[in-house]
Amino acid sequence: MLSYILRRIVATLPVMAIVALFVFSLLYIAPGDPAVVIAGDQASPEDVERIRQSLGLDRPFLIQFGSWVWRILHGDLGTSIFTNLPVSTMIGQRLGPTLSLMIITLLLTIVVAVPLGVVAAWKAGSLIDRAIMAFAVFGFSLPVFVVGYMLAYIFALELEWLPVQGYTPLTQGFWPWLENLILPAIALGCVYIALVARITRATMLEVLQQDYIRTARAKGMGQGGILFIHALKNAAVPIVTVIGIGIALLIGGAVVTESVFAIPGLGRLTIDAILRRDYPVIQGIVLLFSFVYVLVNLMIDVIYTLVDPRIRY
Amino acid sequence: MDRRTVLKGLAGAGGLALSGGLSAPAIAQGASARTLRFVPQANLANFDPIWGTQYVVRNAAALVWDTLYGIDAKLQPQRQMVESEETSDDGKTWTFKLRPGLKFHDGEPVLSKDVVASLSRWAARDPMGLMIIAIQQELTAVDDRTFKWVLKQPFPKMLYALAKNNAPCSFIMPERIAKTDPFKQITEYVGSGPMKFAKSEWVPGAKSVFEKFADYVPRQEKASWLAGGKQILVDRVEWLVMPDPATAAAALQNGEVDWWENPIADLVPVLKKNKNISVDIGDPLGNIGSFRMNHLFAPFNDVRARRAVLMALSQEDYMRAIVGDDDALWKSLPGFFTPDTPLYSDMGGEILKGKRDFDAAKKLLAESGYSGQPVTCLVAQDQPITKAQGDVTADLLKKLGMNVDFVATDWGTVGSRRAAKTPPGQGGWNMFHSWHAGADCITPAAYTAIRANGDKAWFGWPNSPNTEKEITSWFDAKNLDEEKAAIGRVNKAAIEDVVYAPTGFFLTYTAWRKNVSGITKGPLPFFWGVTKSA
Repeated sequence: MLSYILRRIVATLPVMAIVALFVFSLLYIAPGDPAVVIAGDQASPEDVERIRQSLGLDRPFLIQFGSWVWRILHGDLGTSIFTNLPVSTMIGQRLGPTLSLMIITLLLTIVVAVPLGVVAAWKAGSLIDRAIMAFAVFGFSLPVFVVGYMLAYIFALELEWLPVQGYTPLTQGFWPWLENLILPAIALGCVYIALVARITRATMLEVLQQDYIRTARAKGMGQGGILFIHALKNAAVPIVTVIGIGIALLIGGAVVTESVFAIPGLGRLTIDAILRRDYPVIQGIVLLFSFVYVLVNLMIDVIYTLVDPRIRY
Repeated sequence: MDRRTVLKGLAGAGGLALSGGLSAPAIAQGASARTLRFVPQANLANFDPIWGTQYVVRNAAALVWDTLYGIDAKLQPQRQMVESEETSDDGKTWTFKLRPGLKFHDGEPVLSKDVVASLSRWAARDPMGLMIIAIQQELTAVDDRTFKWVLKQPFPKMLYALAKNNAPCSFIMPERIAKTDPFKQITEYVGSGPMKFAKSEWVPGAKSVFEKFADYVPRQEKASWLAGGKQILVDRVEWLVMPDPATAAAALQNGEVDWWENPIADLVPVLKKNKNISVDIGDPLGNIGSFRMNHLFAPFNDVRARRAVLMALSQEDYMRAIVGDDDALWKSLPGFFTPDTPLYSDMGGEILKGKRDFDAAKKLLAESGYSGQPVTCLVAQDQPITKAQGDVTADLLKKLGMNVDFVATDWGTVGSRRAAKTPPGQGGWNMFHSWHAGADCITPAAYTAIRANGDKAWFGWPNSPNTEKEITSWFDAKNLDEEKAAIGRVNKAAIEDVVYAPTGFFLTYTAWRKNVSGITKGPLPFFWGVTKSA
């Protein structure tokens, strides 16, 4: 197992390098110039050029790329063009809110979606099944920002139960931390819950038709045991896969959710950086997200071997 | 016990176990009242007011850095850090004396050498500063509190240059910081203004915090815009960036923030209905909508084509697209200068008044030689004001029979592409949309967009010798009457040559909770004199 994990980590390095080159090239050829944004409307072309030079943006592509890679290899993600802060500091400031949001959403999804999918499969064809699947379609169809606005209106403005916006670090208390994340997590989780519930239902239906389930029933095993001990464990591989793939959805959704609920996370940082053409920040974030994807894929593969001992590498 | 308390209690009980005993600190009611939570117009992405000239940077900088002079509500420069000034008989030597007791946030006194370094850095980046540098003989510290600026020829607008509120303002920094290359960012934010910047709490894009500077010595006069006694009546001001207007509106209604700088027109009716919220015009100097035509290339290199567009455009269409149905928020503007200011003039503005004449405009366009070539119209879709104007312009040009190449993109791209002097078909452009703060359009001093000196002019590179001649006569004017006359002639010449197309004058609202008082109207949010009750 250890050698497998090591091999996988080594294999990801070329992927990361290609992603890095791709992102750097894309930004290089994209229209827009941070020097123009910085210089402001009053600036002369000479002023803009001086700013470009001071930022090193006038240097050839290969030199800029080489310099960036060299810094990365030395653990330096560079400095933001706009804030003059280290990119690692900026990402560090924003990592907490995004991670918190993703963890809460992930927990919410697992706690809500998996049981819903199991129940829907168990009661396949019934009113309960249809209600759960209708909810799934509803959740899948509504954009995150629409759900976000609805939740904010009902639970923040009308009922005054929860705040509309912001983020409080966990170090300042559990409730202040949690209350800011409940509505965003529900908004972000809707699509995700719908997806996982549907996959859970479909996979469970397939498993419930297997011979060993019939045998378990014939031996007098209770419904709970059949569903959660035999069936769910065997249906786990595709569910884990979807949850893993869903991390991508979460990252994408976090961009919108963080804007709607004014959470100072990586999603908002990404958008701000793109709009300002803050290249070092964009590159740092993309590199981080690529790393997360690679890590999640690796974790999924490891979890496969745990939930299904037949899978061996 | 309400439901939120129950929820908090339940979560607190569960959270106590999960967080290993961490619980929410008890925040005293008074502490909340001493912190003013403000939603600014944009993100404070950098904090060097000389290097970065965005309005939001200027607004934040006005809390941290003081200026030698400040512009007041009557648009007059008033002494601020300066105790007195003298001008030599020939008008070439300005000698200034600083107020005693001025301190930087690091405890060091403000000295003349700090001022000299700060003014040198500012002047290298500011249009008026560059004009002064061009005629500068020397700028030197005479003693710790006295410095002099010796010029080769008189510069009557000196105090205005030092007081003006448009970016970059001549903020005073410690010498060691002010010696930073003006094209590189400073990394220390030490000023002598009424508030200190809490750098450790700065999360660019999300939050900026300012704390009251205990050693600040306000002037004795009543505060008036950037002038007078800047009394800070709260302990902290927190700027909370909210990119989504609906969220900002909800947060204001919910009491999570106290003051929202510029609510969008669509949400103002909702805010006005809330009994806990006050809504009023934020900046009486408003904004001037604009689109610029590229004077270098056909069809707009011919003044007849530019005039044809002016002849046909309806400012009402533009303004309604920006502000909606609220008639209190806009007015027609037959010229380029901010209405209701001392120098305002509509001289020569007939082409923008009265019924729109499409037939005459089409005829004039044909005379200009326009024969259906594409007109590249850049529109930043991520800025509601430019997006609204772009849609109206596209419709206008089509009605005039023009072939519109509508380039819908983002502001970052427009910002870069508008600088290209290549032909429109090769990466250049024919038109782009923008707007100018009314505070910048009171005189030609800070009004880059009105300049018409060809290659050196703002994007579009208009070349109108008459406009330039009259701008010079304004700079040389000795009194208000001469200034007024000069501005009238500038307006007439700029309209004749269509330096750019003004699309109207519009105002925006500001909104705050009713437990906040002392908010004044002005071109930037002023925090002095603002209090908040629990």
